[in-house]
Amino acid sequence: MRRARDLVELLGPLGLLVVVGVVGSLGFVSPARQTEVVSALVSVAIVVSLYVFVGNSGVVSFGHISFVAVGAFAAGVMTVPVALKPTITPGLFSVLAKHSLGNVPSLALAAAVGGAFALLVGIPLMRLSGLAASIATFAVLGVTHNILGNWTKIGPGALTLTTVPQTTGLLQGTIGAVGVAGLAFAYQRSRYGRRLRAAREDPAAARAAGIDIHRERLWAFALSGTLCGFAGGLFVHQAGTLQASDVYLDLTFLTLAMLVVGGVGSLWGAVVGALVVSGLDSFLLDAENGDVGFVNSLLGKPLWGGSRLVGVALFMAIVLVLRPEGLTRGREFRLPRLPRARRLLRGSPA
Amino acid sequence: MTLASTTTQVQTLLDATALGSIYGLMAIGIGLVFGVLRLVNFAYGQLIMAGAYALALTQDWSIIASIALCFAVVLGLSLAMEFAAFRPLRRASPTTMLVATFAISYLLQSIALVRFGAIGKIVVVIPGLTQPVTIGGLHVRWITVVTILVAAGVFVALTLFLRRTSIGLQMRAASIDSDTARLLGVRANAVITVAVLVSGAIAALVAVILPMAVPERILVTPDYALRETIIVLVGVVVGGIDRLLSATLGGFAMGFLVGTLSGFLPSSGSWPFTSSVYLDSAVFVLVILVLLLRPEGLFTRSRRSAVERV
Amino acid sequence: MSTPEPAPLLELRGLEVRHGSVPAVRNLDLDVRRGEIVGLIGPNGAGKSTTLHAIVGAVRPSAGDIALRGASIRGQPPERIVRSGVGLVPEGRRIFAELTVEENLRLGLAGRHTKEGAQEALESVADLFPVLRDARKRQAGLLSGGQQQQLAIGRALVADPELLLLDEPSLGLAPAIVDTVFETLRAIRDRGLTILLVEQRAQRTVAFADRTYVLANGELRMALLPRDANDTERMVAAYFGT
Repeated sequence: MRRARDLVELLGPLGLLVVVGVVGSLGFVSPARQTEVVSALVSVAIVVSLYVFVGNSGVVSFGHISFVAVGAFAAGVMTVPVALKPTITPGLFSVLAKHSLGNVPSLALAAAVGGAFALLVGIPLMRLSGLAASIATFAVLGVTHNILGNWTKIGPGALTLTTVPQTTGLLQGTIGAVGVAGLAFAYQRSRYGRRLRAAREDPAAARAAGIDIHRERLWAFALSGTLCGFAGGLFVHQAGTLQASDVYLDLTFLTLAMLVVGGVGSLWGAVVGALVVSGLDSFLLDAENGDVGFVNSLLGKPLWGGSRLVGVALFMAIVLVLRPEGLTRGREFRLPRLPRARRLLRGSPA
Repeated sequence: MTLASTTTQVQTLLDATALGSIYGLMAIGIGLVFGVLRLVNFAYGQLIMAGAYALALTQDWSIIASIALCFAVVLGLSLAMEFAAFRPLRRASPTTMLVATFAISYLLQSIALVRFGAIGKIVVVIPGLTQPVTIGGLHVRWITVVTILVAAGVFVALTLFLRRTSIGLQMRAASIDSDTARLLGVRANAVITVAVLVSGAIAALVAVILPMAVPERILVTPDYALRETIIVLVGVVVGGIDRLLSATLGGFAMGFLVGTLSGFLPSSGSWPFTSSVYLDSAVFVLVILVLLLRPEGLFTRSRRSAVERV
Repeated sequence: MSTPEPAPLLELRGLEVRHGSVPAVRNLDLDVRRGEIVGLIGPNGAGKSTTLHAIVGAVRPSAGDIALRGASIRGQPPERIVRSGVGLVPEGRRIFAELTVEENLRLGLAGRHTKEGAQEALESVADLFPVLRDARKRQAGLLSGGQQQQLAIGRALVADPELLLLDEPSLGLAPAIVDTVFETLRAIRDRGLTILLVEQRAQRTVAFADRTYVLANGELRMALLPRDANDTERMVAAYFGT
């Protein structure tokens, strides 16, 4: 019966994502709105990937967007049509310039590159804790951004990468988000995930119990990097264009805050945080465009341009101050406690 | 080596020292607040931004009045941050505090973006200081010399304040062990407020100096001083965030490093680290190496530190 | 007609302090009269430290009252209570190891309610503990255990308290040093202070204090007098609650 109850925790996040995807594909939803839904789903993928490491290990990584970045650039560069590469990415290594990949292979490549990079970086870095780890991962972000934004042999350098096939629609977005959430759940329920959480709760006791904290963190970091890379692939295939600044500080702040607002310690928190903040962002964007009736009548005009960012940042700051453990308080999804339902689930009197 | 290139090298080193001095000042500001609150203020750069905007918008005022407004705005904003954000967060986890100050930084940036737009505003604080002067064969700008002297002066004044006054003593004690300090009757809120105000005053000072000292910084944008804040934060942790001296040295070292590298790296190269566009990478890689070898900080004396605890 | 007894300097009535949901101190009634040395003993985890921390305002009681000179001080922050005349010498001394001896003492001045007399207070403490005068400029962390204990007491005394709370001052000290500490406490009482002493060394404390309360499991068990110090049965009964 424990397995069944455990699966309920997965039900919430997966169910919510599927509902979002299905609702987005309904006929009355406008294309612009659909784009917002897909963005929200891609955000979920990134935030859940981030959660796999940050939530389970308790170490705040400011560098995870580097894995999203390498995945995005890998998938992006390799799906630009070969004929266009000399224009868009002059100076590319010839092995990269001469070949092109399809949609799914590019996503696989993105995941592989993200995972490999994370493994490489993680081996030395996972020895660090706390503030040192956070700053070191931040430095990784700095290096990645700097190199991706300038090195023309592997990417467009300072130019914008364009003509990337926009294959991430509702279907790819939903499947991608669901897949990432499912893998995250499988990890946290596995022996590896449990050991890492034990180490997070009480490092001394965990070490005494024989848990190799460095190794457990490394696995989580590598898995997280792989999922981030994959999410980066989804990201570039939605946007169709990419610059180094798209995957740098703004995205780092946004995804980290989505996670903390939702609740850093649970998968449900990651999903809820991403969806709520994305929803708020969309709402404010509509308000800026003059599409929200009561805002127009309240202010006499649409919301001031750019205040969307203010609204999102203000919302996050307020949640953090009033409810520091996040909207879900770091707890996983649970069914409402109806006595009759419980009895049915358990098959015996409560 | 010709005489010309030696003087160029010395000039570069002087500029690097000035940059290091600015970063050192910022490190003091960040370190003071960390000491009494155990809070890393990501939004410190926004204080400098606010001061710079105050200067930019009062270009037609007298210099003194403009600078006075700058100080008033920055000090006011510092107090607002303390009351609205730091106080409620005092019992929160370090993770939450980091992300919360990150959020505040973005909030202030986006407010500035809405209010002032993305196009920057030019700020000229004291026109005379950007003029060059010749000292013993070296061509430097006045501001380079002034910055180094001012920073040194602030450092000396602060050291005297911490070591000779009773509130300075209370601040040092609160940084070491705030619980015991309270048990002795030290007024926690008063000590924190003083630390926040001193930290804010330093931010205002940086806002006055930065537009003159660093050529690109003559333009005030919503993300003003963000890059500097990031590098200083990194430097403070690398130096050793636990003690004010090591934190300051860390900030100074980063500034000096950035200054020397930008002066000595060639301007183009097709592989990473071979040209000056890769300056940031070089700095960050060095940071990672230092953190791996000495996570408690380069300039700290002992092994125990706040780094592991946080 | 006899003069009525003056109100106790410190009164605890029905004090309850919780650690989370577990009560560390329950229904505690305790008096300390002016000029007394009152002891508080009991096994580890009995709630003795918690009681002292509640008195000085470091933890909030969940029930009951604390009165100083007849007026309630419950819920006030430490900075106010210290200025009202209560000094705490914490468990483990908790001196600032990186600061000098002189700086540690000067820090204690923060608890004074007037700036006047600060210099005299420092001199007075230096007379009481000559070793502190000699070691003025040394880093406090370099002192021996006994010297650090003297520093911790001196630091509390410069704030001019009326009531001095001591949390296990003999902890980790050699017996000869403990003697010195206890003698100093007597000298301090003779100067007009009142003392509430928490200790693990039961017999020593019972023999030394005017009255000693026994705390076990957060509750008051009994009060002992110096003459009970040699009554082994009574001591054991006090500790093990029979």
